[in-house]
Amino acid sequence: MRLAEIIRLVWLNLSQNKFKVVLTSVGIIVGSATIMLVIAIGTGSREEVAEQFKNLNAGAIDVTYGGEAQSGGGSDWFSGLFSFGNGGEMPSFGGGDGGGMPSFGGGSGSGSGRSSGGGRSSDGSRSSGGSGMPSFGGFGGGSNGDDLILTQADCEMLLEEVDGITDATIAYTTTTSVEGGDHSSATYYTIAGVLDNYAQISNLSMAIGSFLTQENDESKEKVCVLGANVATEIFGSAYAAYDGIVYIDDRPYVVSGVLEEMGTVASGISPDTAIFIPYQTGIKYVTGEFIRPTITVIAEDVNNVSAVMEEINAVLEETYEGSAFGLSDAGSKMEAATTSNQTLTLLLYSMAAIVFIVGGIGIMNVLFVSVKERTNEIGILKALGCSRKDILMEFLLEASCISFVGACIGVLLSLGITPAVELFHVRVSLSAQGAMLSLVFGVITGTIFGFYPAYKASRLVPVVALNQE
Amino acid sequence: MAMIEMRGINKGYMLGEERLPILKNVDFSVEKGEYVAILGPSGSGKTTFMNIIGCMDVMDSGEYYLDGVAIHETKERDLTEIRNKKIGFIFQNYQLIPTYNVMQNIIMPLLMRGMSHQDAEARCMETIRLLGLDQRLEHKPNELSGGQKQRVSIARALVGQPAILLADEPTGALDQTSGKEVLKLFSEINEMGNTIVMITHDLSVAKTAKRIVRIVDGQLME
Repeated sequence: MRLAEIIRLVWLNLSQNKFKVVLTSVGIIVGSATIMLVIAIGTGSREEVAEQFKNLNAGAIDVTYGGEAQSGGGSDWFSGLFSFGNGGEMPSFGGGDGGGMPSFGGGSGSGSGRSSGGGRSSDGSRSSGGSGMPSFGGFGGGSNGDDLILTQADCEMLLEEVDGITDATIAYTTTTSVEGGDHSSATYYTIAGVLDNYAQISNLSMAIGSFLTQENDESKEKVCVLGANVATEIFGSAYAAYDGIVYIDDRPYVVSGVLEEMGTVASGISPDTAIFIPYQTGIKYVTGEFIRPTITVIAEDVNNVSAVMEEINAVLEETYEGSAFGLSDAGSKMEAATTSNQTLTLLLYSMAAIVFIVGGIGIMNVLFVSVKERTNEIGILKALGCSRKDILMEFLLEASCISFVGACIGVLLSLGITPAVELFHVRVSLSAQGAMLSLVFGVITGTIFGFYPAYKASRLVPVVALNQE
Repeated sequence: MAMIEMRGINKGYMLGEERLPILKNVDFSVEKGEYVAILGPSGSGKTTFMNIIGCMDVMDSGEYYLDGVAIHETKERDLTEIRNKKIGFIFQNYQLIPTYNVMQNIIMPLLMRGMSHQDAEARCMETIRLLGLDQRLEHKPNELSGGQKQRVSIARALVGQPAILLADEPTGALDQTSGKEVLKLFSEINEMGNTIVMITHDLSVAKTAKRIVRIVDGQLME
């Protein structure tokens, strides 16, 4: 029989049993909608991870004195201590996992506080003392080696002595009151003291103006670069903020530039909600000497990060005998996030596969019933000379069409469900490829599960089938 | 050569361990253009015999030639084609596909030969007019009377211009008037040169054929 005629017969059968077609395809509808959403959620979470890490260089290694490394005095560490909105209210003090916040202590862990003795002062010169008598022991809550502050000199030393490093920078954060622009009262913002190469290392780009320069730092100039959200909150827009004045700790700073919006970031300083000032300016006017900076170095070869980390540790331990340093690399963070994302995606795919199998079994069941119902019809067709191949093809095409209809409805359903999923703050990224894949999966599943009933129909003995009531 | 030539046909079914013989060493032949009635009571083996003539069942032993083709040596796949091209079936309970309309039912054998829908419709129009079905083409079987259904069944059997028409109790489900009409139609079709083999248990029906063969306990008697 011609394929066109078989298709015509399939259409005839299906169009006279529309309700049955829809009921049969329920499993495929759910399966296709699930696949579509799984792909969309998987893509969404991948995009989110990529977005959160877009300010990270894959070869970046963070070095801090004491416990776990935090990039640039990072926002995670910071948010562990404070909970506040974007430049919103007063910080609330809470138990972070490592104290040692320059201005506010109170961490519950073993993080480093500050002492005036021992190491170098923050401007790079050796500080006097060395008895280790902590001056601010009560703030940091730290109990071991609270006598070292990493400096620009350490940064330069690493750049010189460790092989395989292309660049290095140092940064710290604090939080302090900021006034200016449309704000009638002081609001607390993250202030980051950074060097001129910070923007390049952290993949920051400017919306307007320029980033801080070496001259700004050396002259301890009161200039700043605003994060996108900060600029909007204080001045209404990036353009309004440019060349404006903000008051940090009651001192005026000229806004030399505003950053492009970066979105949420997984590690490091959250650029959208921070104000960047020159490193030395911050020490002189905002934080004082006692800070807890993070050195970030960039490994030349991302495959050689482990070796570079070992060398950094060795150099630092040799320089500061008996001190412990926390090192973490961006690649590991990215890998961990990607692995976790992949696990989630795999889990969702497994779920979708189960739904498809259940849907497929549903199709198989209904087709078996259909073959049973139509045994007499199959007998008539066989008596009239319809070949096994034609009967197999007819039932297979019916299964495929039911699956296709189900898959189409499933894809449409997923479009309807998406806003509901997004209500739960799940990022859903629908795509044409996802729709195509769920259609293909739906049709393939239905066809595979439809094969056995179709095969059984084609093998019926004509005389037996014909006598079936 | 005869249109149907059967020699030493045996057929039985297993009943547990025991073999139950249905057809016993049957010899049977039908010439082209003949109108033969096979008459027998229930359980005499006439349906089994018809299934073997119609290539829907296989014999245990014997030789069967249909229009020169050795059916006993033919595989199931080829039997399908023989059923389609050489045999036109007319069943007692019509065996029409309920979801198809009259036209769709009638053209099915032609579609199975690979003919297009349009060509098949054009080809069967003469048969449809002959059987007076031209006003019923869009009707479904459940919208027709018994006599009309049987005429559709006859039209479906005729459109492929088969070597033989095989009718199994063609008037069994019809009232007397419709039955007579169908039998009259059979005679007319036979007059046109078609070979007809009709199976019936009704002597008055069998008498409309030109030749009657009785089947008793699996054996044929002229």
